[in-house]
Amino acid sequence: MATKNSENMSNNTFNGRRFGLLFKQHFIHNNKLLLYSTVAYVGVVFLLLSIVQVGSELVPHDLENFRGFLLGFTGVFGVLYAGYSFPAFRAKESSMNYLMVPGSVLEKFLFELVSRLGLILILLPFLFWITFHLQGYFFDLFSRYEFKSIGLSTATSVQLPNVDSLFWFTALIFSAVLLGFVVPFTGAAMFTKQPLIKTLFSVALLVIFYTTYTYLVAEELGVNKYGLNDSMWLIPTNEAGAFQFFAIALVVANVVLLFVAYRKLREKEV
Amino acid sequence: MIDIQKLNFTYTKKQQPLFNDLDCHLEPGSIVGLLGKNGAGKTTLLKLMIGLLYPSGGRIDVMSHDPGKRQPSFLQEVFFVSEEFHIPGISISNFVKANAPFYPRFNKELLESLLSDFELPETTSLQKLSYGQKKKFLISFALSTKCKLLVLDEPTNGLDIPSKSIFRKIMAGSLDEDQLVIISTHQVKDVENLIDKILMLENGRFIMQKDLYDISSKLNFSTATSADGEDVLYSEMVPGGYRVITPQLNGESSVDIELLFNAISNGNEKLREYVK
Repeated sequence: MATKNSENMSNNTFNGRRFGLLFKQHFIHNNKLLLYSTVAYVGVVFLLLSIVQVGSELVPHDLENFRGFLLGFTGVFGVLYAGYSFPAFRAKESSMNYLMVPGSVLEKFLFELVSRLGLILILLPFLFWITFHLQGYFFDLFSRYEFKSIGLSTATSVQLPNVDSLFWFTALIFSAVLLGFVVPFTGAAMFTKQPLIKTLFSVALLVIFYTTYTYLVAEELGVNKYGLNDSMWLIPTNEAGAFQFFAIALVVANVVLLFVAYRKLREKEV
Repeated sequence: MIDIQKLNFTYTKKQQPLFNDLDCHLEPGSIVGLLGKNGAGKTTLLKLMIGLLYPSGGRIDVMSHDPGKRQPSFLQEVFFVSEEFHIPGISISNFVKANAPFYPRFNKELLESLLSDFELPETTSLQKLSYGQKKKFLISFALSTKCKLLVLDEPTNGLDIPSKSIFRKIMAGSLDEDQLVIISTHQVKDVENLIDKILMLENGRFIMQKDLYDISSKLNFSTATSADGEDVLYSEMVPGGYRVITPQLNGESSVDIELLFNAISNGNEKLREYVK
């Protein structure tokens, strides 16, 4: 009996088949939207790469351009896409449908996380790589310069800097990038209408608040004149410590924000 | 199947509670009509029953589940057709492919038969259908899921006259003994001869929870030339005379739900005592 109960319990928490059905449902319901979005993304990337190449006397883009554009496009489109997470929450009617789908809160949350952030971190760069090459070879027809392909291994190889603590440095970069997408993801779970704008506005308010607060405490109240030592300020005194401090802070921020998004989904009322 | 005890609900702390110590018990194998004036809280009560809203106090038990937890084992046995709904722009077959696997007892043959009864055309996009056609599709899909609890909020809104009649026929013929259907509606005529039990909401409480059989064994609904008479509990003028409610003396009569609703919501104390 205990085994049966625990099996039921786990079924109500996470079930691989149901998780798969959520993907199937999503792709069947949104096949046209996904197709149009992909075409729009590829089109915009193609167009902008072409404009830049025309502006630089048809000189093909190189690895440096590739990396710059990759970060730019993935960043901008990624934030837009993450800011449109939980699309059902934009309207009362679709919210009801979504909440009544027989899946657990965890399954729905993980589905959203994987289909949004996973897509941003894997599919957007891959689509960019394909479009970059399509555009490069297309312009080969008109340009006297030869386009050089960038292999997937070259594109994904990262030259790490010579720093004291490589692990914390990598964790810091990864967490910072992730936070850039987790913030709009959580915002989309919190705000019903225009979530991205409201999220950006909230972040701006927070930054202004803490900057003003720090300025008032340090300058106006004169706390900085007391000559506190660095450890009292919680400021790391070396490079490795700094990486560790900020990496941990960003990891905690990511976890907290994801938990907030999960709670918002769980407590959603329509 | 549904057990509600001392349910309290308020939308915001500043507002008066919508429900105060509401109690209700519903068993499977029946069609329940949830009636009430606009703003009585019919849709809110339905949402509380299926876990789209959380109660402020009290207890709701539906099929031994707390609806607010929205567990898959609960959700796969509940289908809600709301008054206003969202439907994706895909074909009927794709909709079925995407949604039917979530419901273990889904019956595809039944769906085909219901779609045929409603004369719904094949379409490449459900969005191209009219509001009424979309609603007919959703009702057909809901019945085909064979969920133990079907909740229909104003299901006949937007249906044309022949479709309302088909709706009644379908509802009467497609249900199993272990299913419970709750229909919330203003249009009581549309669900007459269909429902087995009436729940009537007013000012946050049930003013009537009665089986139709009980009502018909206590009250007689008839047309009379005059509204006078000591035994007339309530009357309404209609073309050709009066519709009157009198105590039942010999057997049963079919219940005129609209007349009963008007009588009770107009505050007829004698009748309230009868159906209390």
